[in-house]
Amino acid sequence: MGERTRQALPSVLSVLLSLVVCWQLIALTRDTDGTAVATAAYLEMLWGGIGDWPRFIEGAAVTVLTRPLGEAAMKAALLTLTGLSVAVAFKVGLFNIGAQGQMLLGALAAAVVGAHVTLPGVLHIPAALLGAAVAGAAWAGIAGALKLYRGVHEVISTIMLNWVAVRLVDNWLVVGPLRGVAEAGASISGTAEIHPTSQLPRLLGDSSRLNLGFILAVVAAVTVWAWLARTRSGFETRAVGLGDEAARAAGIPVARRAGFAMALAGALAGLAGAVLVLGTEGRYPGTLGAPYGFDGIAIALIGNNHPLGVGAAALFFGVLRAGGTRMQLLDVHKSFPELIQGLALLFVAGRLIWLAALRRRSTPTVATAAPPAPAAQVPHA
Amino acid sequence: MSLDIGAGELLAVVGENGAGKSSLMNVLYGLYHPDSGEVSVDGRSVRLKSPGDAIALGIGMVHQHFMLVPTLTVAENVVLGREPTRRGLFDWERAVREVAATCERFGFVLDPRARVDTLTVGSQQKVEIVKALHRGAQVLILDEPTAVLTPQEADELARVMRGLVAQGRTVVLISHKLKEVLGVADRIAVMRRGRLVAEVRPSETSATALAALMVGESQRAVTGHAAASGEKLPSDALMEAVGLPVRGDDGRPAPGGGEKPGDVLLEATGLQARGDNGCPALRGVDLAVREGEIVGIAGVDGNGQRELAEVLTGLRPLTAGRGTLLGGALTGLTPAQARARGVGHVPEDRLRRAVVKALSVEENIALGRHTGPPFARGLWIDFAGRRERAQTLLASYDVRPPEPTLPLQALSGGNQQKVVVARELDARPRLLVVVQPTRGLDIGAVAQVHARLREARAQGTGVVLVSLDLEEVLALADRVYVLFEGRVTGQFTRAEYDEREMGRRMLGAEQAHG
Repeated sequence: MGERTRQALPSVLSVLLSLVVCWQLIALTRDTDGTAVATAAYLEMLWGGIGDWPRFIEGAAVTVLTRPLGEAAMKAALLTLTGLSVAVAFKVGLFNIGAQGQMLLGALAAAVVGAHVTLPGVLHIPAALLGAAVAGAAWAGIAGALKLYRGVHEVISTIMLNWVAVRLVDNWLVVGPLRGVAEAGASISGTAEIHPTSQLPRLLGDSSRLNLGFILAVVAAVTVWAWLARTRSGFETRAVGLGDEAARAAGIPVARRAGFAMALAGALAGLAGAVLVLGTEGRYPGTLGAPYGFDGIAIALIGNNHPLGVGAAALFFGVLRAGGTRMQLLDVHKSFPELIQGLALLFVAGRLIWLAALRRRSTPTVATAAPPAPAAQVPHA
Repeated sequence: MSLDIGAGELLAVVGENGAGKSSLMNVLYGLYHPDSGEVSVDGRSVRLKSPGDAIALGIGMVHQHFMLVPTLTVAENVVLGREPTRRGLFDWERAVREVAATCERFGFVLDPRARVDTLTVGSQQKVEIVKALHRGAQVLILDEPTAVLTPQEADELARVMRGLVAQGRTVVLISHKLKEVLGVADRIAVMRRGRLVAEVRPSETSATALAALMVGESQRAVTGHAAASGEKLPSDALMEAVGLPVRGDDGRPAPGGGEKPGDVLLEATGLQARGDNGCPALRGVDLAVREGEIVGIAGVDGNGQRELAEVLTGLRPLTAGRGTLLGGALTGLTPAQARARGVGHVPEDRLRRAVVKALSVEENIALGRHTGPPFARGLWIDFAGRRERAQTLLASYDVRPPEPTLPLQALSGGNQQKVVVARELDARPRLLVVVQPTRGLDIGAVAQVHARLREARAQGTGVVLVSLDLEEVLALADRVYVLFEGRVTGQFTRAEYDEREMGRRMLGAEQAHG
């Protein structure tokens, strides 16, 4: 078994197991035909995520494919960006619980640049994205600076900053100074509508919400992967995360690497906010309730904190969540995809058990020399 | 392999790193499970599924790294896991009484009320032994017990072990130190490459004969290397490894030192620095190192040696004093600057300071040198160059297994150390700071590390060798500084070496007559 397979297998098995468990749970909620309903619900969820291929083959319009795919892709894009945010911080040994707050700040910055700055189309989108990335990075930078200069644990500070972000943005700026005013004096909720020049272009026609944000997320995942795996500074970042004292002795600027990774984490979460505002919402809405920042923690852990693993996990759960609403056709609650995600996270957390089980199977060529319990898998607490 | 352990005997198991000693003992202690074969206790075949099973069968183990809770008292540590209770609550007084009784029964002088972190390393080890005995261990396995002890503490431990055997307990001692094994064991089992190659009685053998048995075919590697470097190995290596110092390199003056001194690499006066606990650890050290010499730093553990090494490598700031290191100031030195100037470092705490155990072997070889060729090209990692260099070094230093992609933690301690030494010397440092470079290494690896240090000296590198093993210092160093409580209490050149006088200086006798 290759090293990559061995790394990915616990996550794959966890997801499969959670699918089985949820299937069983749906079946149990029915008095009759439980298993048949559960299977049908899963199929609905699938067609709702990757497009309704059966109906398309029967001759329905192409929108039965593009609409669901658009929904799945946009959810996947947001999960990818917030998942990367958590994963990047994790690589340098920090636990970023604050992707939600960073996303809020990024969303607000994108909404402000999109609505209040006038720029030609080629520049407006990059400017709004940049603004969002900077805002997210700055918000994460507060936690990073508190950690580096005052020794404040980043878990505590990022959780608190999430609340500060909600109060600051949702409860003040968006209902106060930045509140949008519609024509004819009628008030609307949220900030002013963004200029069309800052809208992320849609890629599959107007009926599908698939837009440039998805491409952005894919590029972000590949870029982060290439940075971590292929560059000197990425190597230094990983070394700091896995052994900061040894990294320091090797002449690596530990504080700079940690600070950069934390800022990058914030920038990625900020971009998620921008994709939400510039791609689908068109303004910062009355409240930005979607907890993609928190989902990012689950996605990062299920993706084993590997940038491409994060992308794969985000894609999978994007499909499930987009399709989840269609399960309601069968009277199955739409929150089951979230339950699947939660269970998968729970099973991934039992990673040590998976690894132990896998090790017992394979011949212990190396295992005899390895320490009995790889406690290094546990994030720095 | 098969091995019988008699009741009431002191069996020593010796062998190179990776020979399988620790694996064997971990099987006996239930940490590893044998692929085939069986373990019998008192003639009954048993399956040891966990250390709990082993403890139930009266097998106790004292690990090389202690498994104690530093902030708890001796008594609390000993009873941990089977605490005496009164009405459901921990009965502290009873724990103290019980532990005191156990100590008395086996002749240990320990205060059960003392907090473990206030004890010396030797006493902490006694706590580990008492813990095993308190749980009714009949067979006690000690893994490299003297690696962390001072000579006096090691002697004390030998007495303790003999005392246990006299009371009918069985002791299995895993060790590299042949002299010590010969002095204390009833029987010696020699392992090599996972096999038992000999079982001998101390009266029938000698350190040299044991060493030859242990090294076996890997001796060829040592010989081959020695021929290449023109040194008088392997007999030197064997003698050193068994603890018999080779004096004076056969009277040969050190290249670059002695007759024609090389350039001064390091010159420092009045160095002061604080230790981890914030107390002054260096209180004014003067030091000079020239090209092509090995300068030994001798002293009892905790007298400022570690802090001195950290100051020289930029890891610890100076609080006073000044110095010139390879053309730059010593004050404000960072680890990156130290490396850039040509300082190599083999630190004492390998897993914390020298390597990142979860990274691969080749990534660890690149660590600290990853910014330039052959490890990087511009901002990018040069995978091909790194792999090639790693393979060359692994072969040249006989690292087993020579797999650059394995995580470093899959290697044994000795092989990890070889990777560190290979990396640091491959950088061709002008000044090399090595701390306890052979602690816990087997005979073959010790010989190799020593040969490499001499080779570096021959090429003009100045070496600062910090070692708690005075014999190692005497065997390698051209000059020796003795440190006591953060001050230099003695300086000796090779012609002046006098172990007894050095010992006195190590205990603080500064003004004694030389």
